[in-house]
Amino acid sequence: MSSSSLKVVRFPVVPRIIIAAAALLILPGCATNRYQAPVTSFQATAQQTVNVLSDFYASRNSYEIDAYLQTLAADPTLPVQTTDAQGSPTPLGKPVFSPLAIKARLDALNLVGIYASRLSDLVNSDAPAQFQSASTLLGQNFSSLDSTFQMLTHTEDPTAQKYAGPITSLIGTIGQMYLERKREELVAKAIKDGAPQVDTILSLVRDDMDTIFSLQVTTGASEKLAVMAVAYNTERAKLSYEQRLTRLMQIKAASTEAAASVGSAPSGMVTSMLAAHHALVQLANSPPKTRIASLAQLNSALAQWTNQIQSVAAQVKVLLH
Amino acid sequence: MIKVDTTTLADIVNQCFGCATDGRFTLAQQQRFLTEGKRLRGLLMNLLSAQFSDGTQAVLDANTQLDRINTELTDSSAVLAHASQVMADVAALVGNLDKLLGIATGFL
Repeated sequence: MSSSSLKVVRFPVVPRIIIAAAALLILPGCATNRYQAPVTSFQATAQQTVNVLSDFYASRNSYEIDAYLQTLAADPTLPVQTTDAQGSPTPLGKPVFSPLAIKARLDALNLVGIYASRLSDLVNSDAPAQFQSASTLLGQNFSSLDSTFQMLTHTEDPTAQKYAGPITSLIGTIGQMYLERKREELVAKAIKDGAPQVDTILSLVRDDMDTIFSLQVTTGASEKLAVMAVAYNTERAKLSYEQRLTRLMQIKAASTEAAASVGSAPSGMVTSMLAAHHALVQLANSPPKTRIASLAQLNSALAQWTNQIQSVAAQVKVLLH
Repeated sequence: MIKVDTTTLADIVNQCFGCATDGRFTLAQQQRFLTEGKRLRGLLMNLLSAQFSDGTQAVLDANTQLDRINTELTDSSAVLAHASQVMADVAALVGNLDKLLGIATGFL
């Protein structure tokens, strides 16, 4: 092989400048594209998650009313009351969970949904400036959210007040999206700036699921089964075959619900959302060398979250009353 | 701020409901376990997010009582042998937890 065949091919100076300029034009596009698919997927799954969690939160008081009425239905000696003989309100007389505290959680989740939505809009549009036109609507949403939390600061609910700080900061982060123009920087900045608040809100939601609602659901299902079983055992001699069969089928359904109730509060789904969000933040923080690995990690977390949400949504539907 | 050990309380609630459907107890005992289980669950719903000032002795005592009764209920042969005593202990727990609601500082 002659030495001339090993010569490095050199572009003339002017074409080299053109190639360099083209690369500069293309690179930001590549950088933006690396967010497009995962952020779009993140937004879609986040919205589904927010919907499932919102349904779950919104149904907690009616779940208790149903449990109370179920007890009355099983025992003909019990009258319907708003206050019981000990002077305590029944679920009909007073909501077990404060409606204002539930609303605070729904608003916080809604805000996380809006945040994911704005991120998605940002990566899917060539004209970030157009977001300004939507700011009025968002501004109204935020105003009403703010007033909810203004009210909460005057209540004694310590759990709801924990949401106030991260929500205020997240509103600030979303607001900034309308003021900036550079999408690539904007996406990374929005992800990084919003991360602590989104993380805090989701962690609070997960704590709610683990420490409050999982206990509500498991004991509620056990109560339903026990009430039906004791009522059947007490009255079975007076029941016809058809009546016994109907009651026993109801007991079977209650037994299935009780078995499924362990771990049915959607805590795992929130954990998956947190993992996907962490992976998204890691991607935004990653240097060019590790971006491919970060992207793969994000895609894996998104896939796991997406798979989980289908089964969890079905489980939660069973719990909704 | 401190809280009532609601995880243990939920265990006790579930064990009461378990006893209410356990054929080794008489029907009257099953009905009593059901009644106490329902009352305990009502208290659990209120105590899930209740908070108390640090060092509140009534809460510390209640948590000790919860531990003791939970352990007691776990031993099914002992519960069968001393059902009346266990039910009296559970009824006493109901009374003590009910009193706690009056001194809680925050609720969900």
